[in-house]
Amino acid sequence: MANDKRTEPRNGEITGMHRTDDAARVLQQTGEHAVEIARAAQRLAESGVHQSLASDTASAALEDIAHSLDQTATATEQLARSQQEVATSARDTLQALDTSAADLQQLALSVATVRTDCELLARGSESTATVLEESARSLKSTAANASELTETTVRLVAAVTETSKSVADTAARGMETATTIEEVATTVEEMAAGSARLATDSRQVGEKVINIAAGFKSLVGALEIVASDTTETASSIEQTSATAEELARSFRGVSDLAGTLEEAATTSASNLAEVAASVEEVAATAEKMATVVDGNAVAIEALARSAQRVAQSGGEVSTLASSSAAAAMQLEAVTRKIGGVVEQTRTTSARVAGSARAGGITVGRSIGGLIKIRQAMIDGAGVMKDVGRRAEEIGDMVQAINLIADRTNLLSLNASIEAARAGEHGRGFAVIAEEVRALADRAAAAATDVAKIVRGLQLAARDALTSSAEGLRLADEGAALSEEARGGLQTILEGVELLDGSIQNISMASEEQARAVQTVSSTTARLEIESRTIARASSEQTQATQNLARAAGELRSMGKQTRDATSEQARALRELVKGNTQLTATAEKVTRATEEQATGAAELARGAVQMRGATLRTATALTEQIRGVAQMSTSVQEISGATQRMVAGIAEQANGSAEIARAMDGARKHAVQNARAIAEQAMVAKELEAGIRDVSRLSADITVATAEHASGVTSLVKDADEVRRIAKQTARTVGEQAEALSVLAGSVSKQTVSLQGLARITGDQATATAEVNQAMHVVRGRTREIATALAAQAKSAAAGVVDVATVAREVASLQATTNQQVEAMSSRLDGAGEPPA
Amino acid sequence: MTNDLHVTFRVGTASYAVPAAQVLHLESFENATLVPGAPAYVAGLVQVRGRVVPVVDLRVRFGLPPVERTIDNRVLVVQVGTRVAGLLVDSAREVLRIDETSFEKPPEMIERQSAGFVTAVATVTKRLFLLVDVPRLIGEELAHG
Repeated sequence: MANDKRTEPRNGEITGMHRTDDAARVLQQTGEHAVEIARAAQRLAESGVHQSLASDTASAALEDIAHSLDQTATATEQLARSQQEVATSARDTLQALDTSAADLQQLALSVATVRTDCELLARGSESTATVLEESARSLKSTAANASELTETTVRLVAAVTETSKSVADTAARGMETATTIEEVATTVEEMAAGSARLATDSRQVGEKVINIAAGFKSLVGALEIVASDTTETASSIEQTSATAEELARSFRGVSDLAGTLEEAATTSASNLAEVAASVEEVAATAEKMATVVDGNAVAIEALARSAQRVAQSGGEVSTLASSSAAAAMQLEAVTRKIGGVVEQTRTTSARVAGSARAGGITVGRSIGGLIKIRQAMIDGAGVMKDVGRRAEEIGDMVQAINLIADRTNLLSLNASIEAARAGEHGRGFAVIAEEVRALADRAAAAATDVAKIVRGLQLAARDALTSSAEGLRLADEGAALSEEARGGLQTILEGVELLDGSIQNISMASEEQARAVQTVSSTTARLEIESRTIARASSEQTQATQNLARAAGELRSMGKQTRDATSEQARALRELVKGNTQLTATAEKVTRATEEQATGAAELARGAVQMRGATLRTATALTEQIRGVAQMSTSVQEISGATQRMVAGIAEQANGSAEIARAMDGARKHAVQNARAIAEQAMVAKELEAGIRDVSRLSADITVATAEHASGVTSLVKDADEVRRIAKQTARTVGEQAEALSVLAGSVSKQTVSLQGLARITGDQATATAEVNQAMHVVRGRTREIATALAAQAKSAAAGVVDVATVAREVASLQATTNQQVEAMSSRLDGAGEPPA
Repeated sequence: MTNDLHVTFRVGTASYAVPAAQVLHLESFENATLVPGAPAYVAGLVQVRGRVVPVVDLRVRFGLPPVERTIDNRVLVVQVGTRVAGLLVDSAREVLRIDETSFEKPPEMIERQSAGFVTAVATVTKRLFLLVDVPRLIGEELAHG
């Protein structure tokens, strides 16, 4: 119906057609729905009938339930009453158990305290034994060190003896050298003047060396400070660590205490008798132990005193070793000085040798020149002889010329006479004769002149020959002298070589000596180190013994405590209820442990402060060291300057034999110096030997003392072992007691707990039962209400059935109407195809 | 002019002169064969140009010590009349013209000392010459011989 009205024609025909189709379809559906509704109403009516039937049945059943609920509530009330009774009785039991558990706990606490004490005691005796063993070990090592020291000392003595032997050898070689130097010096007396400057420079070098030694010494001092500071630091650290350990132990003790307290609460009451017996036993053992511990303490105190004495003598040894080291250092310095002097002497002799060699070369050259001169003279003599021969020949010729001139003169005279005799006719002839005569005379005069010159020449040649012979003789003499000079130089060279050999011997001996001295020095250093080790070990030992003494005191007090605790325990056992004081004691112990912790922490702080101070000192010492090194470097620079100056001086010195001669004198002086230095060295070696003998004596003393010590400590160790054993036994027994007690306490507490649980559960049950009862009542009421409601429901359901029938009817009419509409619509659609207005 | 010519010679340290007219020629002296029994001033006999001539040693004649013979020794072969003799002198190296006027009477001491052998002295260019009497030198003794 409504659907038709909604289908309005707004657009064209086709749209209207569609709408009409839709409306028809909807109407059809509506018809179908109406049919369905009618069907449903039918079903509803049927079910309403069923429901009313069921509601009736249910209300009947609910009545039954309410009845049975009433019964149940009655039973529950009875149960609640009985449960309350049970709870009351359980509470009573619990109270009783609580009282017993408290008593047991107190007892357990007391036993645990005893046990803790015993364990502390055991630990104390353990540590004492450990310390004693350590002591024994340390003593053994000290003994080993002492024997090593003795051995080292013996070696040192051997080295020193060797050194003094070497020194003696060196002295002998020095004498030899002195003799050689004397020989050389007599050969080249003048060579002894020049090395004053060298000596000055050497002295300067010596001063520098001393400076260096001082620098080294200060360095060594600084290093020693550093070493001692390091030792202090180490000991402080050790102390700190010991304190820390102690602290840790104390902490552990506290935790153990707590554990023990916990454990003690679980001991069974059935062990009580056993505990009592063992407590008695423990008391007896503790008494015995206290006695032993007392004896041990006395022995340990004696040991501490002895250890202090050992430490003292170790310190003495250390001081002696230090002085020995200083002496060795001095010895080394002297040896080095000797080495320098020897080196200088060697340099001087090398210079002398060089000069001698140069002189030899010069002499050889002059010999060569002389030989050449000789040869030249011989050659000249030959030439002169030749000249003489030639002059003689010239004389012969001159004589021949003379002869001819003479004859010519004669002939011309005769011719003159003949011409005079011939008178006027011979006049021209006479003139010619006269001229011939004049020529002949001139020739004769010239020949005479020539003869005179030749005679002079011959004379000169003869003179030349004579002087040539003289020259030859002189050259030969010169050569011989040169040979002699060469021989002399050779002798000098040999002497110098001998000297060089001696110097090398000395150098070798010095090196040997230096080696020996170094051995001595190193041995001394080792000795020092060993003695230091011994001193350290002794001090450690002393500390250990002091610790031991302290531990012994603690042990003693602990033994006493144990004894007291045991008696207290006994008392506690007797007065089980009044065991509260033990708890207080435990609390006090805890407090004490805490205090110990605090003390340990304070010590730790103090150690840290010390450590800081030591570190600061170390820094200062290091600064000093650095300064010493800087000084050293300055000294070294000065040395280099001095060395350069020395080199310059040496270069100047290379000038001539006169300076070499002076150098020889210097060498002689050096030899004297050498001898003096060697004597000094010998003295130092003697001192060293004496010091080492002292060290040897002291080390023997130490060995003896250490051996005594060792035996004492061994007996102590034995005692400590016994103490340990007893303590362990006690601890074990007490532990067993504690265990038994803890088992007892555990059982009681378990019981208590279970009883408590029981009581609680019973209470809970009672409560639950009451609640159940209450709930039952409520349920009963509700059930009744439901039954009433159900009855009402059944009534209304019947009314509903009627209503539903009415509905079904109306729906049927509705269906009819709808069908009519559907039909009408379909007819309209078939006829015009127009949409309905 | 011819008469001015003189042969000069030396004996010892002095120089002497003889007129060239009295000199046949000059010879060098090699050797002389000794004549036994002859006076000491006779040095011996020599062979000159195929003639044997006695030689008078003027050194001996003038009383001078004997010296070694040299190459300068000369023998003046003189002729006095028919007699030829040789005068052995230390040397004879010049023939000089000495003017007659140059001669002077020798000092009496020299005349006496030279036993009459020096008849005059002449100075020629600062050189002193003693003029000897040849016949007297060879004269009487040889005449006797």
